[in-house]
Amino acid sequence: MNAPLKPDAFRVGIDIPPLPEPIIRFERVGKVFAGRRGQSEVEALAGIDLDVPKGAIVGVIGRSGAGKSTLIRLVNGLERASSGRILIEGEDVTGLSEAGWRARRRTTGMIFQHFNLLSSRTVFDNVALPLEIAGTPRAEITTQVERLLDLVGLADKRERYPAELSGGQKQRVGIARALATEPKVLLCDEATSALDPETTQSILALLKQVNRELGVTILLITHEIPVIKEICDRVAVIEGGRIVEEGDTFSVLTQPKHPTTARFVEAVTGVDLPAHLAGRLRTEPRPGDAAVLRITFTGENATAPVISRLSSIIGVDVNILAGRIDAIAGKPFGSLLVSVPAREPELGAVLGALKSLELKVEVIGHVS
Amino acid sequence: MSPDIIRLILQATADTLTMVAVAAGIGTLLGLPLGVFLATSKRGELFAAPFANAVLGALVNATRSTPFIILVVAIIPFTRLLAGTSIGTAAAIVPLTVASTPFIARLIEGAIREVDQGLVEAARSMGATPVQIVRKVLVPEALPAIVLGLTLAIVSLLGFSAMVGAVGGGGLGDLGIRYGYQRFMPDVMAAVVAVLIVLVQTVQSIGDRLARHLNKRLRHA
Repeated sequence: MNAPLKPDAFRVGIDIPPLPEPIIRFERVGKVFAGRRGQSEVEALAGIDLDVPKGAIVGVIGRSGAGKSTLIRLVNGLERASSGRILIEGEDVTGLSEAGWRARRRTTGMIFQHFNLLSSRTVFDNVALPLEIAGTPRAEITTQVERLLDLVGLADKRERYPAELSGGQKQRVGIARALATEPKVLLCDEATSALDPETTQSILALLKQVNRELGVTILLITHEIPVIKEICDRVAVIEGGRIVEEGDTFSVLTQPKHPTTARFVEAVTGVDLPAHLAGRLRTEPRPGDAAVLRITFTGENATAPVISRLSSIIGVDVNILAGRIDAIAGKPFGSLLVSVPAREPELGAVLGALKSLELKVEVIGHVS
Repeated sequence: MSPDIIRLILQATADTLTMVAVAAGIGTLLGLPLGVFLATSKRGELFAAPFANAVLGALVNATRSTPFIILVVAIIPFTRLLAGTSIGTAAAIVPLTVASTPFIARLIEGAIREVDQGLVEAARSMGATPVQIVRKVLVPEALPAIVLGLTLAIVSLLGFSAMVGAVGGGGLGDLGIRYGYQRFMPDVMAAVVAVLIVLVQTVQSIGDRLARHLNKRLRHA
């Protein structure tokens, strides 16, 4: 008797490892805010389906007013869902009482755009606050706070007040405070939006470290695509209270399907023609014109010496107009604008060679 | 000035300080919880109780809009009930307290409302109960503003305490009216005013200094 075939056996192509079980799951979640005095109610979220895999960093990106703040607040009960279900570690938290939520919140840390540190408390006492709230004995608080201040690199600032710290240092205190009760999930509400790019990088590096070393699952919301690009394993794009696109960061950012995603992505992956050429771009070629190609490099091909091969093997002159190579979710990704002679057979040979390398090529116009 | 007059001034100063201190003390004890409640009980707030908020708010407004001198007379039966008499320093404390409590409550409400709501949200995200939020976040963060408010309340009480002389309360105001004005002793009047000026200055600068010390929002270089 033959062993029954597993459905997996029919799968074609690259084997994608199954996602780890979700630690947070949204099922058709909606949120409606009651209208104020005579005004109609506002639908902030509708039909949200989202899984946050355990141990992952998941980013939700959207413009202000898209509903992302509401979405993240549903996870720790600062807002309650109007419809649908939210499961946290398999437990349905939708109907939880305020007291039930309070207990839950101690296993979920949160950091904020404006840090929300108590100005009247020192760095040490700020980090100690969640432990005081949880009723942790004083001696234990001291060891825990010291450990966390070491982790975020602020051991020497323990007796300082928030007003004496820089923005980046304040957010480090915020992170230490959010981790004080050893939560499994860290919620980041625009955590780097008030910081300069350099400080943003250092905070993102710290979040990554927290995720990898402590195994804390991170759900973050942002309007900055670089944040997604830098640390998120998965991304959801939210627009008008709905998730319009969701998937692993590299695929979503390199092959955006929704116009909103495409607009966000342009800032990190887009390459524009220099202005003096852009104005002269024509759709139809004239004799003697050069064709302008956009070549998109992804994954391992991003580092292949494509241009030198084109000129040495096919023998055409390739003129580089603009380009950028970057890493998205740790994988290289590049975009290059080049011009090559628009006449055949050269153009056909170039396109053929690029396609054989599995690069995405598109002729965007012609210039003289 | 004769030694007798000086003794009178010292006695009146002591009476004023007693009245003001006791009224401010009790006023704070009652006004602090009242102020915290007023600041946290509107719709959607920590201790949401919109009806109780509206009733207490109206009561506070009514007390505050009654001219102090009328309040003193109007509550004489209540004063007699509490102090056993309606004349003298002890009796004067009752209307002073009744007037200062809603005033202090409003000042504390204002101070608490100034606290960044983000801090309340942060505390909620840690699983804090409403009482913990008040004790560990709202009151400590509002403390510099509360201290300035109490300073203002004490200075106002010094002024109010001069009026209770009209109904037989003691103190500097009473002395000024009876000796300085009614007996034509301008030197006593001047001395009374001078002592009041010194008291107000002292209270204000202690309050300012304490508030500055408590305010960690400014960098202390």
